[in-house]
Amino acid sequence: MFIHQSSCISPQSTFGNIDLDTLIAPENNILKVVEPKYENIPLNILRRMGKAVRIGVGAALPLIEKANKLDGIIIGSANGGMEDCVKFLNQIIEYDEGRLTPTNFVQSTPNAIAAQIGLTTANKGYNITHVHRGLAFENALLDAMMMLKENNDATYLLGGVDEVSSYNYNLERLGGWYKKEKITGVDLYNSQTNGSIAGEGSAMFVVNNESAGSFLEVKAIKMLHTNDSAEVAAQLNHFNDVNGPHNAWLSGENGDVRVQPFYQACENNLTGDMAILHFKHFTGEHPSTTALALWLANRFFETKKIPSHFFKSTPAEKPIGSILLYNSGKGEQHSFLSLRAVEH
Amino acid sequence: MDRDLLKTELKQHIIKYLNLLEKAPADIIDDQPLFGDGLGLDSIDSIELVVLLEREYGIKINDPKDGRKIFTSIDTMVDYIIANRTK
Repeated sequence: MFIHQSSCISPQSTFGNIDLDTLIAPENNILKVVEPKYENIPLNILRRMGKAVRIGVGAALPLIEKANKLDGIIIGSANGGMEDCVKFLNQIIEYDEGRLTPTNFVQSTPNAIAAQIGLTTANKGYNITHVHRGLAFENALLDAMMMLKENNDATYLLGGVDEVSSYNYNLERLGGWYKKEKITGVDLYNSQTNGSIAGEGSAMFVVNNESAGSFLEVKAIKMLHTNDSAEVAAQLNHFNDVNGPHNAWLSGENGDVRVQPFYQACENNLTGDMAILHFKHFTGEHPSTTALALWLANRFFETKKIPSHFFKSTPAEKPIGSILLYNSGKGEQHSFLSLRAVEH
Repeated sequence: MDRDLLKTELKQHIIKYLNLLEKAPADIIDDQPLFGDGLGLDSIDSIELVVLLEREYGIKINDPKDGRKIFTSIDTMVDYIIANRTK
């Protein structure tokens, strides 16, 4: 599967004037998206959109406007519009199950993003949303790959979206998934404490089976559920043997000492000449970070440039042509992606 | 409440309930149609307005046909609120 166009709305400068060198620091350990003006979304529709829908549709529309045809929309979002969902549920209590406003309800379901993209662009093709927590985007990606196996000439919009809402932030914080001490950026990885920094964002891709014009091929994906780091490392070794070699390792490590053993166990098995990269200081942690990591990998291949802050190891001297991406959702859900640069 | 004050308050509620981010109360003309070519509201907004009347003024609208007349403009809404409000 090849990526042809991509866009990303994130806490950093990734939409419009893209600048990966400058890091925007988290505020109170939250990296919130830098939202554009959404000039291509009609105001009457925009005013009803919650943040997840806004950043999803906002990232998708420029790609759809450029795409010749689109046979479907495949989105991964663990939480969808959680802020609107909680507003709606609170109304049920506050107004004693009386008359409720429809907008919060309409915007609150995870599939509101794919549905709104389909409605806005009058796309009547395959329209689906995957919601498998930390593997939501990965399942969307697998779905796109399977659809392309069945429909060789098709083109799909693939995306991953998740927002920080006060509700899920507070719940995750109580669960110890966000750090108590202040994090300013790459110090995230040295903190030796529980939790990470919160993040949010949306990344969209136009994908098909044509290599011409693409900079990145998604060669393979694997997902597994386990809390055994040795099992993850063994599975990664097998994945690397089958799909490798790779000359860079893009790690989803997030500074949480509870999850770090999974990343460390895998990293210990890597060959010495692989460059080691990480990205959570750039995106923050949320269930769909793999989508943003994929967007970054595509950008690295396209520009043949990787800013130094992404390197955990010494920056590579040779251009990076293949990336092994590993991300873990809370040490329970794990995904590996084999990504290759397309040479022209 | 004075009619002009009620109009301003109602416009503020409409902006808040319908999330009309780009509008100020002064932008909503009293006799301008709320739907269609005027303010450009649609059917989902009409349900939001039904909820607004119930929550802010204690008015229940059970027949959607009544809404068409009541929600014609700010003037018609204010007339209805003055005649029917329970809070």
